[in-house]
Amino acid sequence: MISRRALEALTAGLTGAFGVAVVVSSFDNGIGWSTAGVESGTFPLIVGSIVLAGSLYNLVRGWLRGTGIVVERAGFRRTLALLLPAVVFVAAIPLTGLYVASAVYLFCTLHLQSRLSTVRALAIALVATGALYLVFERAFQVSLPHGLLGAWLDL
Amino acid sequence: MENFDLLLHGFTIVLSVNHIALMVGGVLLGILVGVLPGLGAPNGVSLLLPITFGMAPVSAIILLSSIYWGALFGGSVTSILFNIPGEPSSVATTFDGYPMAREGRATEALATAFGSAAFGALVGVVLITCLASWIAHAALEFGPAEYFAVYFLAFSSFIGVGGTPPMKTVVSLAIGFAIAAIGMDTISGSVRLTMGVDELVKGVSFVVAVMGLFGIGELLIAVEEELHAKPVASRIDWRTLFRTLAGLPKHWVALLRSAAIGCWMGITPGGPTAASFMSYGIAKRVSPRRANFGKGEPEGIVAPETADHAAGTSALLPMLSLGIPGSATAAVMMGGLMIWGLNPGPALFIEQKDFVWGLIASMYLGNIVAVILVLLTVPIFASLMRLPFFILAPLIFIVCVVGAYSVSNSYLDVVLMMGFGVLGYLFKKLDYPLAPLVLAIVIGDKAEDAFRQSMLMSEGSLGIFVGNKLVTTLVVAGFALLLLPPLLRTIGVLRRPR
Repeated sequence: MISRRALEALTAGLTGAFGVAVVVSSFDNGIGWSTAGVESGTFPLIVGSIVLAGSLYNLVRGWLRGTGIVVERAGFRRTLALLLPAVVFVAAIPLTGLYVASAVYLFCTLHLQSRLSTVRALAIALVATGALYLVFERAFQVSLPHGLLGAWLDL
Repeated sequence: MENFDLLLHGFTIVLSVNHIALMVGGVLLGILVGVLPGLGAPNGVSLLLPITFGMAPVSAIILLSSIYWGALFGGSVTSILFNIPGEPSSVATTFDGYPMAREGRATEALATAFGSAAFGALVGVVLITCLASWIAHAALEFGPAEYFAVYFLAFSSFIGVGGTPPMKTVVSLAIGFAIAAIGMDTISGSVRLTMGVDELVKGVSFVVAVMGLFGIGELLIAVEEELHAKPVASRIDWRTLFRTLAGLPKHWVALLRSAAIGCWMGITPGGPTAASFMSYGIAKRVSPRRANFGKGEPEGIVAPETADHAAGTSALLPMLSLGIPGSATAAVMMGGLMIWGLNPGPALFIEQKDFVWGLIASMYLGNIVAVILVLLTVPIFASLMRLPFFILAPLIFIVCVVGAYSVSNSYLDVVLMMGFGVLGYLFKKLDYPLAPLVLAIVIGDKAEDAFRQSMLMSEGSLGIFVGNKLVTTLVVAGFALLLLPPLLRTIGVLRRPR
């Protein structure tokens, strides 16, 4: 389980880190006033500083005022059970292409994770992937990634 | 009177087989995304954006706005029948809608919701019809400084009256601005904030952000909270339906009050979600029937539904006339307008009369089509909810991945969407608002340009923002919205007897 305090700190930390990155990066573009007007790094510098300052405020406030549990253990496990396979799926797209990755991802989550029978899981995976192919590749002529596998098979 | 003629002209554009078909298709798709948790109006509109690129702008906006109406209605169906809000803006509808449905008054609850929603939407559209071109004409006189002041006013109202912790709103807004700045700078042509990733030169598309923040984020929340659909009977009893609709005018006080709240929150970008909560909260405080609230009181449905739809509709008023969207979905639509080569803002009313009035006319028709379709299809869409969520979740996830990829055929966008998804989950858990982030991504560049152009005109003096009556009023109003709420709270704290 995750306490509200920890999650507030994590989120404020993430937004603060983004703020720092924006501030640092803005110096590459020049700050302040020049003959051409306001230099292009000025606005990012201001916004980045606001993100940073706001994050610090939220960090302190979240730490002082945050009480209780915000994510239960079982809920956290369910979230990860969706997120982690999804990350693997996205990581696999450049290798196997979107269609193969989708079919495998659907089959695995439905059969291995949700205990659907092999036949049903396979049917859903194939029908969904097939529908995707028909809608995008055929109807709208949008080419979804075929990956290294596709290149190797010369698609 | 001129507006009326233009509106009639708009109807002649909209009333074609092609456009009615787009409307029906859009509304049905909208109800679908509204019913499915994890997919909402902003995602639905973003998903279909790529296929509108080949269409005429009028047809495209009819399709997208119809999805919006459908989603607003669809969200209420699941709120009432399953106690699962399909849209964030229909959360308040569950408070009294679900108890009514559980008592066996599902038809009455649905009819009350749709009737008041249609009324709210109608008030919003009438408001647009009467005011939009007037505001646009006034705004034609605006220079960069006035524009920046209007943007400032919009952002301040998010922070001051958005109802979320103010500092979290500030962070959310500023992150949106920073993301908008990524890529090529429109004024100097230099490349900003790419942090070494060359592909970021093209910038981060708002569609990718919306897919992640709203789509993936909501999906993660939905699995975590393990939404169990405990369905109640969803058959529609037509006689009860008509009786309820006929009895709706007896709630006229609530209807008018909620429509006013909704329009206000839609125009000042508070958005439909804040509007429905605020309207429910006020109704609970002032209604003579307040004791019944939360136990299945029809007025507890009238208040949030009317405000939700009034806000959703009137959010298009500032988008059309000023180029400032009043809700997340309106922001996505405005992004679409820019992709189609239109320039949202006052010039639209002069250069693109057919587009503007076609859209406004389609809003009247679209809402009627939406009410009819949602009534006819309630049982079908209700049966969708009986599909177990563990099957729906990976399917919705794949749809989001494909949607993000197809924006510009870029794998980086899919990775970014995952990042936005996690951010959306964290933000939702901790009451950071998402709408300001999306709004800032869409109009961040314009706000920055307006600021830099004003500074060029004044040769670096901030005095230009108090240069004339109009701009001074706007700036002062912005600061008032920003500072008054915390000030009042502080005074309230001091005065409270210990």
